[in-house]
Amino acid sequence: MKTRKHKSDLVILFATLGLMALGLIIIYAIGPMRANVLNNTYGTDYPSSYFFLGQLRAVGLSLIAFFAAFKWIPYQYIKKYAKPIMIIALILSGLLWFLSMIGSSLAKCELGECRWYQLGPISFQPAEFLKLAMVIYLGDFLSRKREEGCIGKWREFWVPLLIVCGVSLFLVVIAQGDLGTGVALISIIFGMLLIAGVPAKQYLFMVALVLIVAVGAVATSSHRMERVNAWITTLSGGESSDSTYHVENAMLAIGTGGLAGVGIGNSVQATGYLPESINDSVFAIMGETFGFIGLFLILVVFAAILVRMLKVAEGTKDTEGRLVVVGIFAWTLAQVTVNIMAMTSLVPVTGITLPLLSYGGTSMVFIAFALGLVLQLSCYTSREVITNENISSGGRLGGAHHTSRRRSS
Amino acid sequence: MPRSNYQHQIVNPTSSPHRRIKILRNVVFIAFAIIAVRLFFIQIIEHNYWITKAEKEHTILETVTARRGEIYMMDHDEPVAIVLNQTTYQIIIDPSVTNKDEVKQALETYAKDYIVVDFDEIYNQEGLRYSIVAKNVPRNIIETLNEQDLTAVWFKKTNQRVYPEGQLASVLLGFVNADGVGQYGVEGALNPVLAGKDGLIKSTADVNKVALSIGNDNIKIPAEDGRNLVLSIDRGLEQGVEEITKKHIDNTAATHASALVMDPNTGEIIAMANLPNYDPANYGNVTDASAYLNQVTEVPYEPASICKSFAFSSAINEGVMSADTTYFNQGYEIIDGWKIQNAEQRASLYGTINMKTALYWSLNTGSIYALKLLGGDPNQINQAGREKLYDYYHNKFRLDHLSGIELPEVEGIIPDPNEGWGRDSVYANMTFGQNLNITMLQTATAYSAVINGGTYHTPTIVKGELVNGEVAPLENTTESTEKIDNKILSDETSATMRDMFINNRNYKARAGIDRAGYAIGGKSGTAQVIKNGAYDDTMSETVGSYIGFVGPNGELPKYVIMVKMLGEGQYLDGGIASNLFDDIENYLIDYLKIKPGA
Repeated sequence: MKTRKHKSDLVILFATLGLMALGLIIIYAIGPMRANVLNNTYGTDYPSSYFFLGQLRAVGLSLIAFFAAFKWIPYQYIKKYAKPIMIIALILSGLLWFLSMIGSSLAKCELGECRWYQLGPISFQPAEFLKLAMVIYLGDFLSRKREEGCIGKWREFWVPLLIVCGVSLFLVVIAQGDLGTGVALISIIFGMLLIAGVPAKQYLFMVALVLIVAVGAVATSSHRMERVNAWITTLSGGESSDSTYHVENAMLAIGTGGLAGVGIGNSVQATGYLPESINDSVFAIMGETFGFIGLFLILVVFAAILVRMLKVAEGTKDTEGRLVVVGIFAWTLAQVTVNIMAMTSLVPVTGITLPLLSYGGTSMVFIAFALGLVLQLSCYTSREVITNENISSGGRLGGAHHTSRRRSS
Repeated sequence: MPRSNYQHQIVNPTSSPHRRIKILRNVVFIAFAIIAVRLFFIQIIEHNYWITKAEKEHTILETVTARRGEIYMMDHDEPVAIVLNQTTYQIIIDPSVTNKDEVKQALETYAKDYIVVDFDEIYNQEGLRYSIVAKNVPRNIIETLNEQDLTAVWFKKTNQRVYPEGQLASVLLGFVNADGVGQYGVEGALNPVLAGKDGLIKSTADVNKVALSIGNDNIKIPAEDGRNLVLSIDRGLEQGVEEITKKHIDNTAATHASALVMDPNTGEIIAMANLPNYDPANYGNVTDASAYLNQVTEVPYEPASICKSFAFSSAINEGVMSADTTYFNQGYEIIDGWKIQNAEQRASLYGTINMKTALYWSLNTGSIYALKLLGGDPNQINQAGREKLYDYYHNKFRLDHLSGIELPEVEGIIPDPNEGWGRDSVYANMTFGQNLNITMLQTATAYSAVINGGTYHTPTIVKGELVNGEVAPLENTTESTEKIDNKILSDETSATMRDMFINNRNYKARAGIDRAGYAIGGKSGTAQVIKNGAYDDTMSETVGSYIGFVGPNGELPKYVIMVKMLGEGQYLDGGIASNLFDDIENYLIDYLKIKPGA
């Protein structure tokens, strides 16, 4: 079965580019404040354009990754290497763990968590790569198991799946202490499992199992418990403390934004009050800058991307392609909702970037690549939504001005 | 792609991709709806709450310190600076951010003498984000510290007083404490005038409390600088008077001495010496705070026989006595059972003598006689006499009132004429300056009225303020009290008193101490000190005072000089004090080039 190539999904394309541009604008406005605060507080010597140039570089690399995935590297080619990609990703994360344990300078650590490779001026976060690798690998694995009719079978399906996912989560959550990426990985896994057609009972059992493990992991870690307590304290309007400082200041930024915001360059919270103002907390700064109207529009743009991804998934005939799109959807959804919900105190702070808007190279490059992949796949959708995989229809998604013909094999 | 491969999947509609994608779509809608509602709640409903909170956290209120006014004295007709300002710095740190050891070490190395805190204490205070750790740090030290590149350390400009004339008139001037508030003297009394009004900057600030240009509510109220005060004190005269006074302390048993020179016709003080001085730049080194007190205005005492000037002039002004009025002096009086004696008991004075003689020899019986005459009964003191004397002392000479000078001062005490036991003896004592408590300034101001033609002038130490190099009247201050110019005695009374005071100094003129061509009069006082609640009749400790005037012959006196000398456990009488007066009087004539009269 093959669907003729047509135009890509313009909503995803322009929304992605638009968000990147918005991210640039906001970093342009608050980057100098960030540099100033760091210089005054820690005696560093960042030029005021440092963060903007960093973001410009990240956006440049991300655009390359985006168009590479969109136009230049055919998905059919990528999927052939699903397994090696996953193995490389796991090795990279594993090696980082090892390097950090032997105290190598190649492993860059912040606040006791070693999440980056540092090679001269370049830093690289393998967990971001692992997310992409997970999507590609699971796309391949699940579609194969589906073809083999092994979905839901213990030995052929669950055992290898649990091993790969378990190792990945171990490396990310335990070895790197990166709960945010852990949440994104779990979202990817469960999103793809859902679409892969895992029987509902097994699926719900697994969800329950993960929840139990998650609760256990939080309850046994004083560091994570502190975040939960801080969250509860903030929600219930309790006494401020160091642990509630971050989310309180995020809410302060959002709250002061009001309906229309204070305007670009007028954020006070970005002048050092709000931690991670250019990274994880950039949504709060946008709330202060653009107000409710601005945030609502950003939400609409993200929602549009997500909904269109689902539309692409629906239209994608190829099981593997559809699974990959849903994986990327789940990844994006997790990043967006967990980040924003943490900033609005709906969930505890986990430390997760807001796709395309947060300052940071690796995370943007990989999410851009993933979105490029979705766009590539959006060129091969059929319009008619299928409820059964054996029914295929003509048409496509996006661009009604020229026709296409279904070709079935 | 062969269909049959996964046909078994199709039969379960709940696991169909479409249905499950629908679930995911619903997840998106629900999650985003929750977020949107939450944002609406925070940004629209709670907006004001967050605005209020933000204002509290983001706003800094910074005081713009007004420049303190400088203090000038006169050098004849030109104002000269006596107290100037110098810019120094405060060092402020944020103990929660700063590198504690590094900062502590740097400050202890370069600014040790200026540290005002215990570092361990402030480092242990939780949540402390702002602490002034050093004060009055000179600029060169700040420049050195600046090179250390310390984190979360700021320098704030402040003013410090400098004294080009060293200790000159330090008690009169007072000092400015580490908080910039004037203490004692002119600095203390005229602090509001000198301090000016601090300005205010209300500004949105970043987390390091650095003001930002962001924000609509930023306010800047500029500081109103303090006024440059010009004192009526003449610098050269002050210097000379202090030197002479110091010499007399060195050459007598006195440990403290004060001297006051004023213009009796205006109330202007032109010299006020209080010795020993202290170093105002290092006022903290003074161990006994009484050294800060101005003996002229803040320490009331019994000026003793000097007060005969007031008793005599009261009776003369009432027309019941003249210089030639006679009475019988038996050397003592018994009043209310107390025997009150004259200090001078030479035989030639017993019998009938006139008031001029009584004042010359400073006979207590003479002044008691004046009190009797005030009551209309030469034989005894009565209520009318007491009330009359009280009227003069309290209402006319204002001996117990605040004089209104621009200095810290205290009220005096004049006993009530009708209340309490033994009023007659108390009032008899008051005629020769005991049983009352008044300051040198109250005494000298009243005395000025006695000899200037009878007008009481509020004393002043302020000539004006310096505006563009010119001395302008100091106006619109809440500190200036209403100036009194009361005619309290007749010209004739005043003239009679002057003659008697000049007569008092005949022996000085004969000795060549008082120069020919000048009208110089005076009156001494030797005050017993109250010990264990009673006057010490052994006279083992006394306070010597002298008051007098000087001017060209045939003119109203130009200057009143009063001196006081004391030392704990020391006998210092009016005679010893008169020697100090003599030297000052002669210096004054030379320094001010007072030409002799006919």
